[in-house]
Amino acid sequence: MKLKPSDMLKQLKSIVVFATIALVTICGVTSCGSSNKLSKKEYKARVEQATKDLNAILNNETAWTLEEQQARVNEIKKTDFSKKNPEIVEMIERAEAKIAREMAERDRLAEERRLAEEQRIRELEEQNKPKTSLTEYFDMIANAKDVVSANSAIKEALKLFASPDAVVLIRLNNYGDYDRPTTAVNYLNYIKDQKKVNVSVDNVKYNEKNKITELELIKK
Amino acid sequence: MKKLLFAIAFAFFALTGYQAFAQEPELSPERKQAIDSLALEKVRDLSKYVKLIGSKNTPWSEANRVIDRAEELFAPDAEIGVSSLSKTKVEYYKVRQYLERLMRLNYDRVEIDWYKIQYVSDLQRQPDGTYVGVITIFQTFKGYDAEGRLVYQDTTKKDITVYVKRKETQIGGRLIGFWDVLLGDMRVKETAH
Repeated sequence: MKLKPSDMLKQLKSIVVFATIALVTICGVTSCGSSNKLSKKEYKARVEQATKDLNAILNNETAWTLEEQQARVNEIKKTDFSKKNPEIVEMIERAEAKIAREMAERDRLAEERRLAEEQRIRELEEQNKPKTSLTEYFDMIANAKDVVSANSAIKEALKLFASPDAVVLIRLNNYGDYDRPTTAVNYLNYIKDQKKVNVSVDNVKYNEKNKITELELIKK
Repeated sequence: MKKLLFAIAFAFFALTGYQAFAQEPELSPERKQAIDSLALEKVRDLSKYVKLIGSKNTPWSEANRVIDRAEELFAPDAEIGVSSLSKTKVEYYKVRQYLERLMRLNYDRVEIDWYKIQYVSDLQRQPDGTYVGVITIFQTFKGYDAEGRLVYQDTTKKDITVYVKRKETQIGGRLIGFWDVLLGDMRVKETAH
């Protein structure tokens, strides 16, 4: 049977379309196969690397952090070793258990250190914390029964200051008006002489040793 | 010609001086009240110092320290008047000299009290910005002998000039504006039994 040229063209078009679909399908399948299946060579290399890394983790022969070790184990787990190399699966389980144990221990130690540091800071604060507050000293000095006890309170109060010459400012109001600036020792003696406290503590500046470097008082 | 130049120069300085004075802002009543009280407090502080220095119960070292503090309240050349019922003339001494004499008074016990401490002339602003006022005080003085007998007593009214000047100082990188109160002469006005 003879075909017309137009029919021949139609058949040719069908062949081309069919061939294209077949090609795409074959390529697609092949490509999928290549991503799931490892070549023997590749698999062997992975077994070797996994064994090496897992041994290093299990025998503490790596400088990786625990997080890096866990990341490496997670990477190893992506390959299925259960059929051909079950010993690697067993190593993975041991490595994961070891990492988890060490992470827990590390966290416990960090918590212990944090608590110890908190305790140390508390003790230091307690040590530096004045047994008597500044305002209590002011009252003690003003109400001392005699010069000796007033001087004793002044001596104790001065321990709160970085120096007997630490600046004492006395603010008269909130308009930036101050009395003539004085020093800690002179102000404490002033309280002793005048037997009165007509100020309240407004602002205190401390140095790194928790001693007062500048005291600002405000008139009551 | 010289007279004319002098008159022009005088008028110029008087005018510029007046302008500088006029440009200074007036203190609000609250701030004025604060410096009024501050000056009055300094006189009250002085009354305690005088009592301590005069007291025979005050240890020598303490009295000397208090003299230093009291002296700081005064302007450098201030003088204090001393009167007596037995003398008509009022003697004037430099502040330190007065305070040291007070410490060494020849009595076994001395009682000094100041009362009615108040302004007789309110603080007034001067062209240079200083506030000047006068505070009056009444002082009773009692001197006792070794047997505890009162051997001398008088009451003196004294006027103290006070000077209050705004100053500034740098503290910890901060500019602090403070009112420097200085006491001037303490003049005896009346002395009686």
